[in-house]
Amino acid sequence: MQFKLTNVTKRFGGLVAVNNVSFSIAKGEIVGLIGPNGAGKTTLMNVISGIMKPDEGRIEFDGTDISGRAPHEICHQGISRTFQIPRPFPDLTALLNVGVGALCGKHRPNMSLGDALLDASHCLEFVGLFAKRNVLARDLTLYELRALELARALSTTPKLIMIDEVMAGLNPGESVKAVKLIRKIIDEYHITVIWIEHVMKIIMEATDRVEVLHYGEIIGSGPPKEVVHDPRIIEAYLGEKIA
Amino acid sequence: MVRIEHKRARLVVYIKDLKLEWAIESRYWRNPLLAVAGLALLPIILSGFPGLLTLFTTANIYAAIAIPLAWQMTGIGRLNFGPQLFLGIGGYTAALLNIHFGWPAWLTLPAVILAGLIFGLLLSRLTTIAKGLYFSLITLILPLIFLELTYYFTGIFKGETGLYGISNIIRLGSIRMSYVAAAYISLIVVLIFLYIVDKALRSRIGIYAAAINDDEDVANILGLNINKWKVICFVITSTMITVSGWFTAHYFGTFAGATYLPLTFMLKILLMVMVGGRGEIYGALVGAYFVIMLEKALAFMGPVNHVIFPLILLILLFTLPEGLYGLYRKHKNREYYPTIRVRKR
Repeated sequence: MQFKLTNVTKRFGGLVAVNNVSFSIAKGEIVGLIGPNGAGKTTLMNVISGIMKPDEGRIEFDGTDISGRAPHEICHQGISRTFQIPRPFPDLTALLNVGVGALCGKHRPNMSLGDALLDASHCLEFVGLFAKRNVLARDLTLYELRALELARALSTTPKLIMIDEVMAGLNPGESVKAVKLIRKIIDEYHITVIWIEHVMKIIMEATDRVEVLHYGEIIGSGPPKEVVHDPRIIEAYLGEKIA
Repeated sequence: MVRIEHKRARLVVYIKDLKLEWAIESRYWRNPLLAVAGLALLPIILSGFPGLLTLFTTANIYAAIAIPLAWQMTGIGRLNFGPQLFLGIGGYTAALLNIHFGWPAWLTLPAVILAGLIFGLLLSRLTTIAKGLYFSLITLILPLIFLELTYYFTGIFKGETGLYGISNIIRLGSIRMSYVAAAYISLIVVLIFLYIVDKALRSRIGIYAAAINDDEDVANILGLNINKWKVICFVITSTMITVSGWFTAHYFGTFAGATYLPLTFMLKILLMVMVGGRGEIYGALVGAYFVIMLEKALAFMGPVNHVIFPLILLILLFTLPEGLYGLYRKHKNREYYPTIRVRKR
Protein backbone atom coordinates (compact mmCIF):
# COMPACT_ATOMS: atom_id res chain seq x y z
CA MET A 1 0.00 0.00 0.00
CA GLN A 2 1.61 3.19 -1.10
CA PHE A 3 -0.79 5.66 0.50
CA LYS A 4 -2.92 4.98 3.53
CA LEU A 5 -5.32 7.15 5.52
CA THR A 6 -6.42 5.82 8.90
CA ASN A 7 -9.28 7.45 10.83
CA VAL A 8 -8.41 10.95 9.74
CA THR A 9 -10.58 13.58 11.38
CA LYS A 10 -10.53 17.35 10.99
CA ARG A 11 -12.72 19.66 12.99
CA PHE A 12 -13.26 23.40 12.67
CA GLY A 13 -14.69 24.29 16.06
CA GLY A 14 -17.94 22.36 16.22
CA LEU A 15 -18.06 21.47 12.54
CA VAL A 16 -16.55 18.13 11.63
CA ALA A 17 -15.35 18.58 8.08
CA VAL A 18 -13.64 15.22 7.70
CA ASN A 19 -15.00 12.43 9.89
CA ASN A 20 -13.06 9.23 10.41
CA VAL A 21 -11.93 8.77 6.83
CA SER A 22 -9.91 5.68 6.05
CA PHE A 23 -8.84 4.33 2.73
CA SER A 24 -5.70 3.16 1.04
CA ILE A 25 -4.31 3.43 -2.45
CA ALA A 26 -1.91 1.11 -4.20
CA LYS A 27 0.91 2.33 -6.37
CA GLY A 28 -0.20 3.40 -9.81
CA GLU A 29 -3.94 3.42 -9.11
CA ILE A 30 -6.22 6.17 -10.30
CA VAL A 31 -8.72 6.86 -7.57
CA GLY A 32 -11.61 9.24 -8.00
CA LEU A 33 -12.87 11.16 -5.00
CA ILE A 34 -16.45 12.25 -5.51
CA GLY A 35 -19.17 13.71 -3.39
CA PRO A 36 -21.62 16.59 -3.33
CA ASN A 37 -20.42 20.12 -2.71
CA GLY A 38 -19.37 20.68 0.87
CA ALA A 39 -18.57 17.04 1.48
CA GLY A 40 -15.05 17.79 2.62
CA LYS A 41 -13.03 16.75 -0.44
CA THR A 42 -10.89 19.87 -0.60
CA THR A 43 -10.48 19.86 3.19
CA LEU A 44 -9.25 16.29 2.96
CA MET A 45 -6.80 17.38 0.29
CA ASN A 46 -5.60 20.25 2.45
CA VAL A 47 -5.04 17.85 5.33
CA ILE A 48 -3.11 15.39 3.14
CA SER A 49 -0.91 18.06 1.59
CA GLY A 50 -0.09 19.53 4.98
CA ILE A 51 -1.69 22.95 5.10
CA MET A 52 -3.98 21.77 7.87
CA LYS A 53 -3.05 19.29 10.57
CA PRO A 54 -5.44 16.40 11.19
CA ASP A 55 -6.98 16.34 14.64
CA GLU A 56 -6.95 12.56 14.78
CA GLY A 57 -5.67 9.79 12.58
CA ARG A 58 -2.62 8.88 10.61
CA ILE A 59 -1.53 9.44 7.05
CA GLU A 60 1.13 7.11 5.72
CA PHE A 61 2.95 7.39 2.45
CA ASP A 62 5.52 4.83 1.29
CA GLY A 63 5.79 3.58 4.85
CA THR A 64 6.55 6.96 6.44
CA ASP A 65 4.11 8.79 8.66
CA ILE A 66 3.36 12.20 7.19
CA SER A 67 0.42 13.31 9.30
CA GLY A 68 1.09 16.75 10.71
CA ARG A 69 4.36 17.38 8.88
CA ALA A 70 5.08 20.72 7.24
CA PRO A 71 3.84 21.10 3.64
CA HIS A 72 7.29 21.39 2.14
CA GLU A 73 8.40 18.14 3.77
CA ILE A 74 5.31 16.38 2.40
CA CYS A 75 6.21 17.70 -1.04
CA HIS A 76 9.70 16.29 -0.65
CA GLN A 77 8.15 12.90 0.17
CA GLY A 78 6.46 12.99 -3.24
CA ILE A 79 2.91 14.31 -2.90
CA SER A 80 1.77 17.15 -5.14
CA ARG A 81 -1.53 18.90 -5.65
CA THR A 82 -3.33 21.31 -7.91
CA PHE A 83 -5.84 23.91 -6.85
CA GLN A 84 -9.48 24.14 -7.79
CA ILE A 85 -9.23 27.88 -8.40
CA PRO A 86 -5.78 28.17 -9.96
CA ARG A 87 -3.26 29.85 -7.69
CA PRO A 88 -0.24 30.77 -9.77
CA PHE A 89 2.36 33.32 -8.71
CA PRO A 90 0.80 36.26 -10.55
CA ASP A 91 3.88 38.44 -10.93
CA LEU A 92 6.10 35.67 -12.29
CA THR A 93 6.21 34.31 -15.81
CA ALA A 94 4.90 30.81 -16.56
CA LEU A 95 8.47 29.55 -16.83
CA LEU A 96 9.37 30.87 -13.39
CA ASN A 97 6.14 29.53 -11.90
CA VAL A 98 7.14 26.02 -12.89
CA GLY A 99 10.74 26.89 -12.06
CA VAL A 100 9.82 27.35 -8.40
CA GLY A 101 8.55 23.79 -8.35
CA ALA A 102 11.63 22.50 -10.15
CA LEU A 103 13.98 24.31 -7.75
CA CYS A 104 12.29 23.44 -4.49
CA GLY A 105 10.34 20.29 -5.18
CA LYS A 106 12.99 17.80 -4.38
CA HIS A 107 16.52 17.86 -3.17
CA ARG A 108 18.44 17.66 -6.41
CA PRO A 109 22.20 17.66 -6.32
CA ASN A 110 24.15 19.51 -8.98
CA MET A 111 21.31 21.59 -10.30
CA SER A 112 21.99 25.23 -11.08
CA LEU A 113 19.32 27.80 -11.76
CA GLY A 114 19.68 27.31 -15.52
CA ASP A 115 19.28 23.55 -15.19
CA ALA A 116 16.15 24.01 -13.09
CA LEU A 117 14.63 26.34 -15.67
CA LEU A 118 15.47 23.77 -18.35
CA ASP A 119 13.55 21.14 -16.37
CA ALA A 120 10.73 23.64 -15.99
CA SER A 121 10.61 24.24 -19.72
CA HIS A 122 10.38 20.47 -20.28
CA CYS A 123 7.33 20.37 -18.01
CA LEU A 124 5.82 23.37 -19.80
CA GLU A 125 6.40 21.78 -23.17
CA PHE A 126 4.74 18.60 -21.91
CA VAL A 127 1.52 20.44 -21.10
CA GLY A 128 1.78 22.55 -24.23
CA LEU A 129 2.59 25.93 -22.70
CA PHE A 130 6.13 26.41 -23.94
CA ALA A 131 5.11 29.14 -26.36
CA LYS A 132 3.73 31.12 -23.41
CA ARG A 133 6.68 30.64 -21.13
CA ASN A 134 7.45 34.37 -20.93
CA VAL A 135 3.87 35.47 -20.37
CA LEU A 136 3.11 36.68 -16.86
CA ALA A 137 0.83 34.26 -15.06
CA ARG A 138 -1.75 36.97 -14.47
CA ASP A 139 -2.22 37.25 -18.25
CA LEU A 140 -2.96 33.60 -18.98
CA THR A 141 -6.41 32.23 -19.82
CA LEU A 142 -8.22 29.78 -17.54
CA TYR A 143 -7.30 26.67 -19.48
CA GLU A 144 -3.67 27.78 -19.58
CA LEU A 145 -3.76 28.40 -15.84
CA ARG A 146 -5.05 24.88 -15.25
CA ALA A 147 -2.30 23.50 -17.50
CA LEU A 148 0.21 25.63 -15.56
CA GLU A 149 -1.05 24.13 -12.29
CA LEU A 150 -0.48 20.65 -13.70
CA ALA A 151 2.95 21.54 -15.02
CA ARG A 152 3.93 23.01 -11.67
CA ALA A 153 2.70 19.96 -9.79
CA LEU A 154 4.65 17.72 -12.20
CA SER A 155 7.88 19.69 -11.85
CA THR A 156 8.21 18.55 -8.24
CA THR A 157 8.49 14.94 -9.53
CA PRO A 158 5.63 13.58 -7.45
CA LYS A 159 4.78 9.96 -6.77
CA LEU A 160 1.18 10.89 -5.89
CA ILE A 161 -0.65 13.76 -7.48
CA MET A 162 -4.00 15.13 -6.31
CA ILE A 163 -6.02 16.83 -9.01
CA ASP A 164 -8.81 19.10 -7.83
CA GLU A 165 -11.68 19.69 -10.26
CA VAL A 166 -9.98 20.41 -13.52
CA MET A 167 -13.21 20.75 -15.49
CA ALA A 168 -14.82 23.62 -13.63
CA GLY A 169 -15.21 26.58 -15.92
CA LEU A 170 -13.85 25.06 -19.10
CA ASN A 171 -15.85 24.90 -22.32
CA PRO A 172 -16.37 21.44 -23.93
CA GLY A 173 -13.41 21.69 -26.31
CA GLU A 174 -11.07 22.70 -23.51
CA SER A 175 -12.35 19.98 -21.19
CA VAL A 176 -11.59 17.34 -23.80
CA LYS A 177 -8.07 18.75 -24.08
CA ALA A 178 -7.70 18.76 -20.30
CA VAL A 179 -8.73 15.12 -19.96
CA LYS A 180 -6.34 14.14 -22.76
CA LEU A 181 -3.57 16.00 -20.96
CA ILE A 182 -4.18 14.18 -17.70
CA ARG A 183 -4.31 10.84 -19.50
CA LYS A 184 -0.99 11.75 -21.13
CA ILE A 185 0.48 12.47 -17.71
CA ILE A 186 -0.76 9.19 -16.30
CA ASP A 187 0.48 7.19 -19.29
CA GLU A 188 3.87 8.84 -19.37
CA TYR A 189 4.72 9.11 -15.69
CA HIS A 190 2.70 6.21 -14.18
CA ILE A 191 2.04 8.15 -11.01
CA THR A 192 -0.71 7.53 -8.52
CA VAL A 193 -3.61 9.94 -8.94
CA ILE A 194 -6.37 11.09 -6.62
CA TRP A 195 -8.86 12.83 -8.85
CA ILE A 196 -11.60 15.02 -7.42
CA GLU A 197 -14.21 15.59 -10.06
CA HIS A 198 -17.89 16.26 -10.50
CA VAL A 199 -18.22 15.21 -14.12
CA MET A 200 -19.34 11.57 -13.94
CA LYS A 201 -18.37 10.74 -17.50
CA ILE A 202 -14.70 11.21 -16.73
CA ILE A 203 -14.93 9.35 -13.45
CA MET A 204 -16.45 6.37 -15.24
CA GLU A 205 -13.88 6.37 -18.03
CA ALA A 206 -10.66 7.38 -16.42
CA THR A 207 -10.61 6.05 -12.85
CA ASP A 208 -9.97 2.53 -11.54
CA ARG A 209 -11.78 3.05 -8.28
CA VAL A 210 -13.97 5.63 -6.62
CA GLU A 211 -14.35 6.83 -3.04
CA VAL A 212 -17.50 8.73 -2.19
CA LEU A 213 -17.48 11.40 0.48
CA HIS A 214 -20.64 12.80 2.05
CA TYR A 215 -20.65 15.17 5.04
CA GLY A 216 -17.06 14.19 5.67
CA GLU A 217 -17.56 10.44 5.77
CA ILE A 218 -16.81 7.75 3.22
CA ILE A 219 -20.18 6.28 2.26
CA GLY A 220 -19.07 4.09 -0.61
CA SER A 221 -16.05 2.79 -2.39
CA GLY A 222 -15.40 0.51 -5.32
CA PRO A 223 -15.30 0.45 -9.12
CA PRO A 224 -17.16 3.40 -10.63
CA LYS A 225 -19.86 1.35 -12.34
CA GLU A 226 -20.98 -0.22 -9.04
CA VAL A 227 -20.74 2.94 -7.00
CA VAL A 228 -22.87 4.97 -9.38
CA HIS A 229 -25.79 2.52 -9.09
CA ASP A 230 -25.68 2.32 -5.28
CA PRO A 231 -28.92 3.83 -3.92
CA ARG A 232 -27.27 5.45 -0.92
CA ILE A 233 -24.95 7.43 -3.14
CA ILE A 234 -27.72 8.50 -5.48
CA GLU A 235 -29.62 9.66 -2.41
CA ALA A 236 -26.61 11.67 -1.25
CA TYR A 237 -26.35 13.49 -4.57
CA LEU A 238 -29.94 13.84 -5.65
CA GLY A 239 -32.08 13.39 -2.55
CA GLU A 240 -34.32 10.70 -1.14
CA LYS A 241 -37.19 10.83 -3.60
CA ILE A 242 -35.12 9.90 -6.63
CA ALA A 243 -33.13 7.12 -4.97
CA MET B 1 34.21 19.13 -2.54
CA VAL B 2 34.68 22.47 -4.25
CA ARG B 3 35.25 22.49 -7.98
CA ILE B 4 35.34 25.42 -10.35
CA GLU B 5 34.97 25.15 -14.13
CA HIS B 6 35.13 27.82 -16.78
CA LYS B 7 33.87 27.02 -20.20
CA ARG B 8 31.75 28.73 -22.85
CA ALA B 9 31.75 32.05 -20.98
CA ARG B 10 30.19 30.43 -17.94
CA LEU B 11 31.68 30.02 -14.52
CA VAL B 12 30.37 26.89 -12.79
CA VAL B 13 31.12 26.32 -9.12
CA TYR B 14 30.35 22.99 -7.46
CA ILE B 15 30.20 23.10 -3.65
CA LYS B 16 29.32 19.63 -2.33
CA ASP B 17 26.01 19.09 -4.16
CA LEU B 18 25.18 22.71 -4.86
CA LYS B 19 25.84 23.91 -8.36
CA LEU B 20 26.12 27.64 -9.00
CA GLU B 21 26.32 28.90 -12.54
CA TRP B 22 27.27 32.44 -13.49
CA ALA B 23 27.43 33.84 -17.00
CA ILE B 24 30.40 36.06 -17.72
CA GLU B 25 29.31 38.60 -20.27
CA SER B 26 31.35 41.75 -20.41
CA ARG B 27 28.71 43.81 -22.19
CA TYR B 28 26.68 43.76 -19.00
CA TRP B 29 29.49 45.40 -17.07
CA ARG B 30 29.85 48.54 -19.12
CA ASN B 31 27.04 50.61 -17.58
CA PRO B 32 27.67 49.55 -13.99
CA LEU B 33 31.40 50.23 -14.36
CA LEU B 34 30.76 53.68 -15.81
CA ALA B 35 28.37 54.49 -12.97
CA VAL B 36 30.82 53.26 -10.33
CA ALA B 37 33.67 55.22 -11.93
CA GLY B 38 31.52 58.35 -11.97
CA LEU B 39 30.56 57.93 -8.34
CA ALA B 40 34.14 57.21 -7.37
CA LEU B 41 35.31 60.49 -8.84
CA LEU B 42 32.70 62.49 -6.96
CA PRO B 43 34.41 62.68 -3.53
CA ILE B 44 37.57 64.10 -5.10
CA ILE B 45 35.61 66.64 -7.12
CA LEU B 46 33.54 67.60 -4.10
CA SER B 47 36.45 67.76 -1.66
CA GLY B 48 36.43 71.55 -1.92
CA PHE B 49 32.75 71.73 -1.01
CA PRO B 50 32.26 70.22 2.42
CA GLY B 51 28.48 70.68 2.35
CA LEU B 52 28.11 68.73 -0.86
CA LEU B 53 30.52 66.08 0.37
CA THR B 54 28.36 65.49 3.45
CA LEU B 55 25.35 65.39 1.18
CA PHE B 56 27.02 62.70 -0.91
CA THR B 57 27.90 60.66 2.17
CA THR B 58 24.40 61.04 3.62
CA ALA B 59 22.93 59.92 0.29
CA ASN B 60 25.18 56.86 0.47
CA ILE B 61 24.04 56.12 4.02
CA TYR B 62 20.39 56.31 2.97
CA ALA B 63 21.11 54.15 -0.06
CA ALA B 64 22.76 51.63 2.27
CA ILE B 65 19.46 51.48 4.18
CA ALA B 66 17.24 51.44 1.11
CA ILE B 67 19.04 48.69 -0.84
CA PRO B 68 18.61 45.86 1.70
CA LEU B 69 15.13 47.18 2.45
CA ALA B 70 14.20 46.68 -1.19
CA TRP B 71 15.15 42.99 -0.83
CA GLN B 72 13.32 42.70 2.47
CA MET B 73 10.11 44.06 0.97
CA THR B 74 9.68 41.01 -1.23
CA GLY B 75 11.77 38.46 0.62
CA ILE B 76 9.60 38.17 3.70
CA GLY B 77 6.25 38.77 2.03
CA ARG B 78 5.26 41.39 4.56
CA LEU B 79 5.71 45.12 4.86
CA ASN B 80 8.23 46.03 7.53
CA PHE B 81 7.22 49.45 8.87
CA GLY B 82 10.12 49.76 11.26
CA PRO B 83 13.45 49.34 9.47
CA GLN B 84 14.96 52.17 11.49
CA LEU B 85 14.97 49.93 14.58
CA PHE B 86 18.13 48.25 13.31
CA LEU B 87 19.60 51.60 12.41
CA GLY B 88 19.13 52.57 16.04
CA ILE B 89 20.59 49.30 17.30
CA GLY B 90 23.68 49.70 15.11
CA GLY B 91 24.19 53.33 15.99
CA TYR B 92 23.81 52.90 19.72
CA THR B 93 26.02 49.79 19.82
CA ALA B 94 28.81 51.59 17.96
CA ALA B 95 28.40 54.74 20.05
CA LEU B 96 28.39 52.97 23.42
CA LEU B 97 31.35 50.72 22.60
CA ASN B 98 33.32 53.68 21.32
CA ILE B 99 32.60 56.03 24.21
CA HIS B 100 32.86 53.61 27.13
CA PHE B 101 35.55 51.23 25.90
CA GLY B 102 37.38 53.41 23.40
CA TRP B 103 37.04 50.93 20.54
CA PRO B 104 37.91 52.51 17.18
CA ALA B 105 35.61 52.24 14.20
CA TRP B 106 37.12 49.11 12.68
CA LEU B 107 36.70 47.28 16.00
CA THR B 108 33.10 48.30 16.60
CA LEU B 109 32.16 47.05 13.12
CA PRO B 110 32.28 43.31 13.97
CA ALA B 111 30.46 44.02 17.25
CA VAL B 112 27.75 45.89 15.36
CA ILE B 113 27.40 43.06 12.84
CA LEU B 114 27.09 40.61 15.73
CA ALA B 115 24.43 42.78 17.39
CA GLY B 116 22.54 42.96 14.10
CA LEU B 117 22.65 39.19 13.68
CA ILE B 118 21.48 38.56 17.26
CA PHE B 119 18.60 41.02 17.16
CA GLY B 120 17.69 39.94 13.64
CA LEU B 121 17.45 36.34 14.79
CA LEU B 122 15.43 37.31 17.85
CA LEU B 123 12.95 39.32 15.83
CA SER B 124 12.81 36.95 12.87
CA ARG B 125 10.20 34.88 14.68
CA LEU B 126 7.78 37.69 13.82
CA THR B 127 8.03 36.88 10.13
CA THR B 128 6.81 33.35 10.70
CA ILE B 129 4.10 34.15 13.24
CA ALA B 130 2.61 37.48 12.24
CA LYS B 131 1.02 38.17 8.88
CA GLY B 132 -0.08 41.19 6.92
CA LEU B 133 -1.51 43.99 9.00
CA TYR B 134 -0.35 42.58 12.32
CA PHE B 135 3.25 42.32 11.22
CA SER B 136 3.17 45.90 9.95
CA LEU B 137 1.70 47.17 13.21
CA ILE B 138 4.20 45.30 15.38
CA THR B 139 7.17 46.51 13.36
CA LEU B 140 5.74 50.02 13.42
CA ILE B 141 5.69 50.02 17.22
CA LEU B 142 9.07 48.41 17.88
CA PRO B 143 11.29 51.44 17.06
CA LEU B 144 9.02 53.63 19.19
CA ILE B 145 9.42 51.18 22.09
CA PHE B 146 13.18 51.38 21.62
CA LEU B 147 12.93 55.17 21.61
CA GLU B 148 11.04 55.11 24.90
CA LEU B 149 13.69 52.78 26.33
CA THR B 150 16.38 55.28 25.39
CA TYR B 151 14.46 57.98 27.22
CA TYR B 152 13.90 55.75 30.25
CA PHE B 153 17.53 54.70 30.62
CA THR B 154 18.75 58.27 30.27
CA GLY B 155 21.94 57.44 32.13
CA ILE B 156 23.13 55.08 29.39
CA PHE B 157 21.53 56.49 26.26
CA LYS B 158 21.51 60.21 27.20
CA GLY B 159 17.88 60.65 26.13
CA GLU B 160 17.15 63.28 23.52
CA THR B 161 20.62 64.75 23.33
CA GLY B 162 22.06 61.45 22.42
CA LEU B 163 25.62 60.23 22.65
CA TYR B 164 28.37 62.50 21.38
CA GLY B 165 32.10 62.40 20.97
CA ILE B 166 32.19 59.29 18.83
CA SER B 167 35.48 59.04 16.98
CA ASN B 168 35.48 59.34 13.21
CA ILE B 169 35.67 56.38 10.86
CA ILE B 170 39.22 57.09 9.89
CA ARG B 171 41.73 59.61 11.11
CA LEU B 172 44.07 60.98 8.47
CA GLY B 173 46.41 63.97 8.45
CA SER B 174 43.94 66.72 7.71
CA ILE B 175 40.24 66.89 8.46
CA ARG B 176 39.42 67.30 4.79
CA MET B 177 41.26 64.06 3.97
CA SER B 178 39.39 62.28 6.77
CA TYR B 179 36.04 63.32 5.36
CA VAL B 180 36.97 62.42 1.79
CA ALA B 181 38.13 59.03 3.04
CA ALA B 182 34.86 58.60 4.97
CA ALA B 183 32.96 59.44 1.76
CA TYR B 184 34.90 56.73 -0.05
CA ILE B 185 34.16 54.24 2.74
CA SER B 186 30.45 55.03 2.50
CA LEU B 187 30.63 54.47 -1.26
CA ILE B 188 32.39 51.14 -0.71
CA VAL B 189 29.70 50.10 1.79
CA VAL B 190 26.95 50.95 -0.70
CA LEU B 191 28.70 49.07 -3.50
CA ILE B 192 29.22 46.00 -1.33
CA PHE B 193 25.54 45.99 -0.33
CA LEU B 194 24.51 46.51 -3.94
CA TYR B 195 26.66 43.57 -5.03
CA ILE B 196 25.36 41.24 -2.30
CA VAL B 197 21.70 42.07 -2.86
CA ASP B 198 22.02 42.02 -6.65
CA LYS B 199 23.71 38.63 -6.69
CA ALA B 200 21.14 37.28 -4.22
CA LEU B 201 18.16 38.53 -6.20
CA ARG B 202 19.50 37.28 -9.51
CA SER B 203 19.90 33.75 -8.22
CA ARG B 204 17.45 31.18 -6.90
CA ILE B 205 17.13 33.26 -3.71
CA GLY B 206 15.46 35.95 -5.81
CA ILE B 207 12.98 33.42 -7.16
CA TYR B 208 12.26 32.20 -3.63
CA ALA B 209 11.70 35.83 -2.56
CA ALA B 210 9.27 36.40 -5.43
CA ALA B 211 7.41 33.16 -4.63
CA ILE B 212 7.15 34.03 -0.92
CA ASN B 213 5.93 37.50 -1.78
CA ASP B 214 3.27 36.30 -4.22
CA ASP B 215 1.78 33.35 -2.38
CA GLU B 216 3.43 31.84 0.65
CA ASP B 217 1.19 28.83 1.10
CA VAL B 218 1.53 27.72 -2.50
CA ALA B 219 5.31 28.03 -2.27
CA ASN B 220 5.19 25.91 0.89
CA ILE B 221 3.23 23.23 -0.94
CA LEU B 222 5.73 23.27 -3.80
CA GLY B 223 8.49 22.32 -1.41
CA LEU B 224 9.99 25.68 -0.46
CA ASN B 225 10.85 25.95 3.24
CA ILE B 226 9.36 29.40 3.64
CA ASN B 227 10.25 29.86 7.29
CA LYS B 228 13.92 29.21 6.62
CA TRP B 229 14.13 31.61 3.69
CA LYS B 230 12.13 34.34 5.40
CA VAL B 231 14.43 34.19 8.41
CA ILE B 232 17.53 34.24 6.18
CA CYS B 233 16.27 37.28 4.28
CA PHE B 234 15.24 39.12 7.43
CA VAL B 235 18.50 38.48 9.30
CA ILE B 236 20.78 39.41 6.40
CA THR B 237 18.92 42.59 5.48
CA SER B 238 18.60 43.67 9.11
CA THR B 239 22.33 43.18 9.60
CA MET B 240 23.01 45.36 6.57
CA ILE B 241 20.81 48.11 7.97
CA THR B 242 22.64 47.78 11.29
CA VAL B 243 25.94 48.37 9.51
CA SER B 244 24.59 51.59 8.01
CA GLY B 245 23.72 52.62 11.58
CA TRP B 246 27.34 51.98 12.52
CA PHE B 247 28.47 54.28 9.75
CA THR B 248 26.03 57.00 10.76
CA ALA B 249 27.27 57.02 14.35
CA HIS B 250 30.92 57.24 13.39
CA TYR B 251 30.49 59.75 10.58
CA PHE B 252 28.41 62.35 12.37
CA GLY B 253 30.14 61.88 15.72
CA THR B 254 26.82 61.91 17.54
CA PHE B 255 23.91 59.52 17.64
CA ALA B 256 20.49 60.33 19.06
CA GLY B 257 17.55 57.97 18.82
CA ALA B 258 15.19 60.94 18.55
CA THR B 259 16.58 61.70 15.09
CA TYR B 260 16.40 58.25 13.62
CA LEU B 261 13.75 56.26 15.44
CA PRO B 262 10.49 58.24 15.14
CA LEU B 263 7.98 57.85 12.34
CA THR B 264 9.15 60.84 10.29
CA PHE B 265 12.43 59.15 9.47
CA MET B 266 10.65 55.89 8.74
CA LEU B 267 8.46 57.69 6.21
CA LYS B 268 11.51 59.15 4.54
CA ILE B 269 13.17 55.75 4.16
CA LEU B 270 10.02 54.05 2.90
CA LEU B 271 9.34 56.87 0.46
CA MET B 272 12.87 56.49 -0.88
CA VAL B 273 12.25 52.86 -1.70
CA MET B 274 8.77 53.50 -3.09
CA VAL B 275 9.68 56.49 -5.24
CA GLY B 276 12.66 54.66 -6.64
CA GLY B 277 10.61 51.66 -7.62
CA ARG B 278 9.09 49.31 -5.09
CA GLY B 279 11.45 46.45 -4.40
CA GLU B 280 13.95 47.36 -7.10
CA ILE B 281 17.49 47.63 -5.77
CA TYR B 282 18.83 50.03 -8.41
CA GLY B 283 15.62 51.97 -7.91
CA ALA B 284 16.41 52.16 -4.20
CA LEU B 285 19.79 53.70 -5.01
CA VAL B 286 18.23 56.22 -7.39
CA GLY B 287 15.45 56.94 -4.90
CA ALA B 288 17.91 57.66 -2.08
CA TYR B 289 19.95 60.08 -4.17
CA PHE B 290 16.81 61.72 -5.53
CA VAL B 291 15.28 62.29 -2.09
CA ILE B 292 18.52 63.77 -0.73
CA MET B 293 18.96 66.09 -3.69
CA LEU B 294 15.31 67.14 -3.56
CA GLU B 295 15.59 67.96 0.12
CA LYS B 296 18.67 70.08 -0.51
CA ALA B 297 17.16 71.77 -3.55
CA LEU B 298 14.01 72.75 -1.69
CA ALA B 299 15.88 74.11 1.32
CA PHE B 300 15.79 77.66 -0.03
CA MET B 301 12.02 77.81 0.41
CA GLY B 302 12.15 78.00 4.15
CA PRO B 303 9.44 76.44 6.34
CA VAL B 304 7.20 75.69 3.32
CA ASN B 305 9.81 73.05 2.50
CA HIS B 306 8.20 70.70 5.02
CA VAL B 307 4.97 70.70 3.02
CA ILE B 308 6.30 70.83 -0.53
CA PHE B 309 8.86 68.05 -0.07
CA PRO B 310 6.41 65.31 0.96
CA LEU B 311 3.91 66.68 -1.55
CA ILE B 312 6.30 66.21 -4.45
CA LEU B 313 7.12 62.69 -3.25
CA LEU B 314 3.42 61.84 -2.99
CA ILE B 315 2.77 63.13 -6.50
CA LEU B 316 5.63 60.99 -7.81
CA LEU B 317 4.30 58.01 -5.91
CA PHE B 318 0.91 58.28 -7.56
CA THR B 319 2.00 59.17 -11.08
CA LEU B 320 4.84 56.70 -11.40
CA PRO B 321 3.48 53.26 -10.55
CA GLU B 322 6.85 51.60 -11.01
CA GLY B 323 8.84 54.44 -9.52
CA LEU B 324 11.73 56.29 -11.07
CA TYR B 325 13.33 53.01 -12.01
CA GLY B 326 10.21 52.23 -14.01
CA LEU B 327 10.98 55.14 -16.33
CA TYR B 328 14.38 53.65 -17.10
CA ARG B 329 12.94 50.19 -17.48
CA LYS B 330 10.32 51.23 -19.97
CA HIS B 331 12.84 53.26 -21.91
CA LYS B 332 15.37 50.46 -22.22
CA ASN B 333 13.40 47.34 -22.95
CA ARG B 334 15.39 44.46 -21.60
CA GLU B 335 14.45 41.02 -20.35
CA TYR B 336 13.73 41.36 -16.70
CA TYR B 337 12.83 37.74 -16.08
CA PRO B 338 15.17 34.82 -16.78
CA THR B 339 14.08 32.88 -19.81
CA ILE B 340 15.02 29.99 -22.05
CA ARG B 341 16.01 30.90 -25.59
CA VAL B 342 15.32 28.55 -28.46
CA ARG B 343 17.44 28.66 -31.58
CA LYS B 344 15.16 28.79 -34.59
CA ARG B 345 16.23 26.68 -37.53
